[in-house]
Order: sequence, then structure tokens, then C-alpha cells
Amino acid sequence: MEKLKNNPLIKAIGTQRLVALLALIVIYLAFGIMNPRFATYNTMVNIFDASYYIGFMAIGICFVIATGGIDLSIGTVLTMSGLVAGYLSVNMGFPIWLVIIICILIGTAFGVINGLLVAKMGLPPFIATLGTMMLSKGIGSIITGAQSVTWKSGSDPEGWYRAIFKIKTESGLLIPTGFLFLIAAAIVMAVVMNKTKAGRYILSLGSNKEATRLSGVNVDKYLIIAYIISGTFAGIAGLAYSTIYSTLLPGGGAGFEMDAIAGVVIGGTSMSGGIGTIAGTMIGVFIISVLKTGLPFVGLQTHYQQVATGLVIIVAVFADVYRNRRKS
Amino acid sequence: MKKNVWGVLITAAMMASLTAGCASNSSTNEVKTTAAADSKTKEAGTEAATEAAKGKEDMTVYMVAKGFQSQYWQAVYKGAQKAAGELGVHLEFQGPDSESDIAQQVQMMNNAVQMKPAAIGLAALDVSALNDSIKSSQDAKIPIIGFDSGVPDAPKGAVVANAATDNYKAGEVAAENTYPLIKDLIAKSSKSVRIGVLNQDATSESIISRGLGFIDKITELIKADGKTVCITGNDKFVTDAKTDKGNSADVILDVAVPSKVEASLMTTDAQTILNKEDTICIFASNQKTGEGLITGDENLGRLGKDVIGVAFDSGTMIKDAIKSGKLAGAVTQAPVEIGYQTVKLAVAAAKGESVADVDTGSQWYNKDNMDSSEISQNLYD
Repeated sequence: MEKLKNNPLIKAIGTQRLVALLALIVIYLAFGIMNPRFATYNTMVNIFDASYYIGFMAIGICFVIATGGIDLSIGTVLTMSGLVAGYLSVNMGFPIWLVIIICILIGTAFGVINGLLVAKMGLPPFIATLGTMMLSKGIGSIITGAQSVTWKSGSDPEGWYRAIFKIKTESGLLIPTGFLFLIAAAIVMAVVMNKTKAGRYILSLGSNKEATRLSGVNVDKYLIIAYIISGTFAGIAGLAYSTIYSTLLPGGGAGFEMDAIAGVVIGGTSMSGGIGTIAGTMIGVFIISVLKTGLPFVGLQTHYQQVATGLVIIVAVFADVYRNRRKS
Repeated sequence: MKKNVWGVLITAAMMASLTAGCASNSSTNEVKTTAAADSKTKEAGTEAATEAAKGKEDMTVYMVAKGFQSQYWQAVYKGAQKAAGELGVHLEFQGPDSESDIAQQVQMMNNAVQMKPAAIGLAALDVSALNDSIKSSQDAKIPIIGFDSGVPDAPKGAVVANAATDNYKAGEVAAENTYPLIKDLIAKSSKSVRIGVLNQDATSESIISRGLGFIDKITELIKADGKTVCITGNDKFVTDAKTDKGNSADVILDVAVPSKVEASLMTTDAQTILNKEDTICIFASNQKTGEGLITGDENLGRLGKDVIGVAFDSGTMIKDAIKSGKLAGAVTQAPVEIGYQTVKLAVAAAKGESVADVDTGSQWYNKDNMDSSEISQNLYD
């Protein structure tokens, strides 16, 4: 454990985070200069809106990536929990508080399945979660009869849940409550990752699974915990997406996980495991959200936005790899 | 110390063998479940086959829709069921998971042809992708009835008739009713103004026709009042529209299309146009872009104030927005009628009667007339 703390890679995360934060500020300012309408409060709220579902997914998957694994199912699990929960609310008349809990628990359930497949049945994470990705996509369509679901609007008596992510006052002022919620979740999970036994073991098994096992840690248990965290946060992300965008389309959601993974990677978490930074992940998520919201402001069509985002990911990770190589 | 190490190693070895045992056990389990699942599929398959065989004695009509997702298709389905009930035929209604799943629809169409029904109703997502399946249907002498956007540019003789909204005309209806609302704004403005056109995709004929119908008609109306118009944005629409291409004129038409059919992307598209200061009007050419427009405006609050919003089809969100004045109005098709006419045409064609295209029509509605029975029968939640 001591050795792990002194690992030069872990020390380097500090600088990686700093670079990412600087990049975030530079990108934001650049968009603001290119189009003054970008640097408004309402656009800031738009960026926040776009960051919630990616942010929650990213917090969760950061734990899985820290174990050296991957969770491809979070995007479709997000859509499935939103679809099923919304269906229960709109078509079956379930009360909204129960629906919110179900939405999150569907994510947790998929986390448990992924965890068992990977830890107990020994499936490679890529294959296991590829399977549950298709499962969740299909089951969501089956339960809702392959129909889109529109969550109850803010004017509905049950529409209070929208205040979890955004409050609009009488005078039209927007309060992005979801931002506080996201940051609070990030702080809690950063503490979990760095200060708790579970978090330390997850990092440790990502760094060297055999050594961790040999030192008497129940590796399977902590591996499963990592996937449960990932699934649960996918469920929370489903709630965030449904609240912000209202409409969920069956068969949708595939590809959302890539935005989350990109955020995690830009933030400095290593895909080979052993390193995980929630703070960095948050910065990465906001870089993705600023790009998503900002690129249309400078007149780029969606297809060019994808190219730009891809380039940012490659540059960010290459910068990290290059710096580490020079150090060692 | 050494003993301890040995202890750990032995325990580890034991654990490893245990887990290995576990793993092999569970993998055999898995094989079993897959086998079980396989046999289930087969059962389902034979069931479907017998069902189809049974239906053949009467008459089976397949309908391959563009999707199943929106309530719009449910309304089409309702109409089709009604006609099937009246005419005593067996109806199979299918649609891909999403309206960007072109490959899945091709698969469904191929399957439908294999089942050799009396006739097939088809709402094509992408006509060129479906060409082979349409040809094989033609070879099998199964008449095809186009519905919704139909099957434009299909091989000659394959599609015997269409029950469809004339989407180009529906787009024109939107433009004709939108123009009086923005006429004064355009006339009074000293600077150029922008009209946004939100489209879900640039591949399906119904969306393209609607968008182009709106663009061409609004261009014509604006030009008739002596103003200049140009078009920018999505390449497909810019190329196909009659409007001059460019970035500066009295009125700029700004066409947006998301890279994928996903609510978040359509919301971003709407926000992008709402964020441009010179925007005075936005037309969303189907239900999902309409909802994206409403969601995108939540933070910006321009609709119903300095931006005129116009949508297409209905659904709770769009109806609420029209009631509250956020949207000025929308154009609705007659989905129930589309489904009804499709099955009717299909049965007639299967019996060898002569059939002709049916335009199921489209209507403009706003807060004042949306509760009239003529309109409300075509609006859905």
C-alpha cells in the first residue's frame, strides 16, 4: 500500500488535473470570445443540463475503470431505467417518489449482474457488459412495448421531481440544483474512493489483482462493489436524463457511455486500472459538456462536433502518456 | 514468517481451485440457459409460422412501420386494427426499435416477404436500402401499399398504391399558417432575421419532404413581399431546397439535423438556434423535434415571447405548449386514417381490385381550434 502511494503515476495526477482544468477554462473562454452569447448565464445552465447524465455515469464508471475493467452497459441502462420508471409513472400511475427509487434500483440491479458476471463467472468485463448492454436495450423496449416515454411535465402535480435538477422561479430565474447534487455526489464518491477501505481495495486490485488477492483481500467482493457503484450511478443518470430531456426513446442510449468514458479518461484515470480520480473525472465531464454545448455556437454541425471531441480525447490522453513516459 | 507465506499460498491455491470449480460450474449453467433460450425461440418461431399459416386461409396483411416508439404509430396501428376487424383479416404490425434503425427495418421487411402474406404495408425509412426486399416482394407477387411517407422512388409497379400524408403539402400548410405570424416582424426589421427549421434526420422521405415543403413555401411567400431569402445548415436540405444558398439576406433559413435520433441531441439543436439573437421563428418538422424545441427553450424562455414556435404532430408536451402559448400552432396528420386506409387498400389489392393513392390529409391547429372534434380525433397524448 505504501508503495502504491509513492507511485509516480499517482503523484502525476495532480498535474494532469491542473492541465485539464486549464484546458476547460481555455475552451470555455475561447467559445465565449468567438460568440459572446455563449458566455451567458442561461448557456451556463445549458452546459450544466448536458453534464448531469454524463457526470453521474462518469462517477460510477470511474470505479470500474479503476479496477482495470470497463462497463459498456451504462448508456443503455440509463435509457432502460428512464424508460421503465417513466412508463410506471405515466402508464401505471406509480407515485413519483417510488418511481425515482425504482429508476435508481434498476441501475443497481444491472450493476449486481455485471459484478457477478465479471467477478464470479470470470467473464471479461468488455464481454459481460456488452451482453448486459444489449439485454438492457432489449428489456427496456419490451417492457414499454417499444414506445417512447415522456416523463410528467413540471406543471403536473407530480412534476416536483424536476426541482431535483432545476428550479425555475416565478421571475424566470434558473437555479441549477442538479449541479449542487452532482458536485455533492462527486465529493462523497471521491472520499469513498480515496479514504475508505472499499475504495482503496478497488484501486489496489486494479493495480495488481493477484497481489491484492494474495494479501488476503476478498477481491471478488470489491470487484462486485465497483460494478454496483457503476450501475447505481447509471440509474441516477437515467433520472437526470429523464428530468432534463423528458423523452426517452427505446433502443436509445448506446453511445452515452462513451461520453462518460471520455470524461473519465480526460480527467486522468488510467484505463489499465489502479488509478481513479473523481475530481479529474468531473473536469473531464465538463470539458465534454462545454464542447457539446459550445461547438454549435461557433457554427459547427453535429458531425464536426464528433470529430472535435474525438481529437480532444486523443490529445488529452496523449499529453498524459507523453508526460509519464518522460518522467519514467 | 516463511510458514505464513506458505499458509497464504496454500489458501490462495485452495481458493483458486475453488473459484475455478465455481467458474466451470457456472459456465455449464450458462450453456444450459442459452440452450433453453434457443429452444424457446424455436417454439416461438413455429408458433408464429402456424399462426401465419392459419391466417393465410383468411388473409394476412403485414404492416412494416418506421417505428413503434411514438404515439403517432400507435394511432396508425389503431386505425389499421379497426380496418382489419371490419374486413376480417389478420394483421401483423411491426416496426424497428428506433427510426434510425434502417438495417432492422430491412430485416423486418425481408421476414414479412418470407411469410408470404396477402399484401404488405410499408413506411420506408430508407428507400434505397429496401430496394432488394421490395424487388423480392414483387417477384413473390405480394402487392405493397405505401403508408405514412410511403415508398417514393420504388421500383416501378412494386407499390400499387399509397395511403399517406402528402408531406410536402403538409410542410406547405405549416408555412402558409406561419407566415402571417411573422410577416410584420420581417417587414419591420432593419437587420436580417432567422427562421430555424429542425429536422429529425435527412434520410427519411417524410421528414425531408416536410422540411422542404416548409422551406420552399416560406421562401415563396417572403419573396412575394419583396424580401430576399437564403438557406444555410444541413447539406442535404441546403442542396435540395429551391432557396438560394448563402449566409446573408433579409431572411436566413437555418436548417439543423442531429447526428442521431436522441432527445439530448435534438434539444441541443434547438438551443443552438434559439441562442442566435436574430431568430424570430422555429419550425420543428415532427413530434420529437417539437419536444426538443420545447425542452431546449426551458432555460432560454424565448418561445411565445420573441420567437414563434411551430411544430408537427401532437403528444402531451406539444399540446400543452400550444395551450400555454409557447407554440403558435402545429400541423397534424390523420394517423388513424392512414392506418385504416392502408389495410383497406391492402385487402383490395390482394383481391386484385384496382387501387389508387389516397391522400389522408393534414390540418393546421392552434389553441383556438384544437378542441374541435375535427382536429381532436387526430391528436394523441
